[in-house]
Amino acid sequence: MRFYGKERRRTKIYIQETIFEEEKNVNPAKLLRFLLVLMILVGQAACASPATPTQAPEAPAAATESPSEPIKIGWFGALSGDQAVWGTAERNGFQLMFEKINAAGGILGRQVEFINYDDKGDQLEAVNVVKRLIKEDKVVAVLGSNSSGRNIAVAPIGEEAHVPIIATYATNPKVTQPTPDTLNQYTFRVCFTDPYQGAVMANFAFNDLKATKAAVLYEISSDYSVGVSDYFKQEWAKLGGELVAAEAFKTGDVEFRAQLTKIKDANPDVIIMPFLYKEVALATKQARDLGITATFIGGDGWPSSELLTMAGEAVEGSYLVDHTDVNMEQVKDWRAEYKARYGMDFEVNAIMAHDAVLVLKAAIEKAGSTDPEKIKIALETMGAVEGYTGSIKIDPKTHNPIGKSAAIIAITDGKFSLFKVVAPMQ
Amino acid sequence: MVILQQVINGISIGAVYALIAVGYSLVYSILKFSNFAHGGVMMLGSYFGFLALTILHVPFWLAFPLAIVGAGLLAVANERIAYRPIRIRNSPLLYLMISSLGVSIFLENFTIVTIGPNFRTFPPVLPTTPIMLGTISIGRLDLIILAITAVSLALLTWIIYGSKIGNAIRATSYSMRAASLMGINPDWIVALVFFLAGASAGIGGVLFGIKYTVWPQMGNLTIKAFIAAVVGGLGSLPGAVLGAVILGITETFAAAFVSSAFRDLFSYALMIIIILVRPGGLLGKITEEKA
Repeated sequence: MRFYGKERRRTKIYIQETIFEEEKNVNPAKLLRFLLVLMILVGQAACASPATPTQAPEAPAAATESPSEPIKIGWFGALSGDQAVWGTAERNGFQLMFEKINAAGGILGRQVEFINYDDKGDQLEAVNVVKRLIKEDKVVAVLGSNSSGRNIAVAPIGEEAHVPIIATYATNPKVTQPTPDTLNQYTFRVCFTDPYQGAVMANFAFNDLKATKAAVLYEISSDYSVGVSDYFKQEWAKLGGELVAAEAFKTGDVEFRAQLTKIKDANPDVIIMPFLYKEVALATKQARDLGITATFIGGDGWPSSELLTMAGEAVEGSYLVDHTDVNMEQVKDWRAEYKARYGMDFEVNAIMAHDAVLVLKAAIEKAGSTDPEKIKIALETMGAVEGYTGSIKIDPKTHNPIGKSAAIIAITDGKFSLFKVVAPMQ
Repeated sequence: MVILQQVINGISIGAVYALIAVGYSLVYSILKFSNFAHGGVMMLGSYFGFLALTILHVPFWLAFPLAIVGAGLLAVANERIAYRPIRIRNSPLLYLMISSLGVSIFLENFTIVTIGPNFRTFPPVLPTTPIMLGTISIGRLDLIILAITAVSLALLTWIIYGSKIGNAIRATSYSMRAASLMGINPDWIVALVFFLAGASAGIGGVLFGIKYTVWPQMGNLTIKAFIAAVVGGLGSLPGAVLGAVILGITETFAAAFVSSAFRDLFSYALMIIIILVRPGGLLGKITEEKA
């Protein structure tokens, strides 16, 4: 009781002080702000009252739309954990892009507010932050992420809230199509898909490297890795190649010698390694230590300047399939701006972020509104957008971009360099 | 030939597990709880070595002891801050375990925030090229790791079974109260045990970092060392080493001859079978419940 009394006195004093403050500073700006808040409240009430109870909860973004308010756009991705290198590059790319758009007058004459959250590379965390973006921050669209697993996990949230999610680097088919006959109405992507990536790997190994015996090492707990290796195996069998070994490991593993010893015994010409750079660095090093001389072929989980420092000699002479060439001429300015702003290495993710922003901006402009529902329709119906990774036209039937090309990158002299560009396949 | 190569692979993994498992067992033998923060100490020990080499630019012969002492002191501080208050209040052992889980999460996140989430590679301080005997490859690094592990374990065994301080440690592990009646200060013994456990984690961390890489979540790998300690018998030093080698070979053989996808299934199945059939572990004498 004694405590209660003290607390109360303190509150009273506080209240008195605030009242005093209030009286002292009645200035026009404060009054105006008060009136503005009042107007918004009244406006909301007016909008809300005629609505029938059945269509109540969703689409509050459209109701509060006003030209002076910024457009809220959300992002989720890994700023910590294994995939932080890419997540950070992507977030930086988006941030820089929106800063440029804001400086040039914004979208539909409105500034963009970029809200970004760290999902730690974790699916559960991704679900939490996307819920927060949509339900609390009321963003008009969600951008990200660089991982299929997390995009598959958050897709139902977009479906339920009717807010479009544009994936930048999630390549598994299930991201937009949970089964071949169904479509996630609100999930889109701007990158190519794993069937294509796997097929490109198989064709490259068979036709360019003239390999006949292939082995696959894959990460069994990753949707991405299992997907790519399956599609590789399909295409490889179609081409008439021989699959001599398929070995798996678990996320977080650092020791691959047991699997690699088995692979070595099968004596393949090429080893397909569709997983992320940390494991790639360890697996390639251990493979070379065991005396394996086969050529390594990787996917879009490889490109990272950290791979070169971590793996060094071991990845020399390897090839990988990527979305685009990170060193290409067109992105020179974008790379320079990025480096000037952040002072860190440029990754392909910043290019994908650039293209995703162009697609979203075009969709909002076509819709002429920031209503998530209208943005979704615009994404499906608008024409091609010219990005750094080619012209991006979303297929309304699959929500994947049509006709994206891939780049085969070679690792020579400790650098990534473009080997060739592969034409889109049908 | 393949089998021989797989045995070598298995032993080389087992050697690293052993160093970390020994730390678990040491702490368990005194305080009778599983110190899950051990992984965090190992991770930071690895970072200490890495930072000494890359920021202080000291030679490896100095960086390695720095990392070992650093990890040892970290473990002592860990005990002082997070365990001693619980111990003094005679709270249930479960609280110590919960506290250790908290410390483990704290250390991981602290590292992410201060040092950064990225993977770091040790500069080439030890030779990593393998020796090829026909088609069989034996890592030079693995041989060095094996040698360092053997020397550290021998030293540790001598400290515990051959020195006067070791007598005190063993007395305390039998009964803390009786030992304190004999004039042994249990707080000092506990601190010493944590220092030894931390130092062995530091050795393991640095070797692990050189062999693979350094990153904030590397402490999670000590769950394998925990399995090794349980298999060998929590609280028993030779048991921890035996368990680690058995685990390393089991894992390698499971991956090689059954399916690499099932490897961890075998590790955990091994642990469960041991707990069911021989709850004290292979060389353990204690039969109380393992926490």
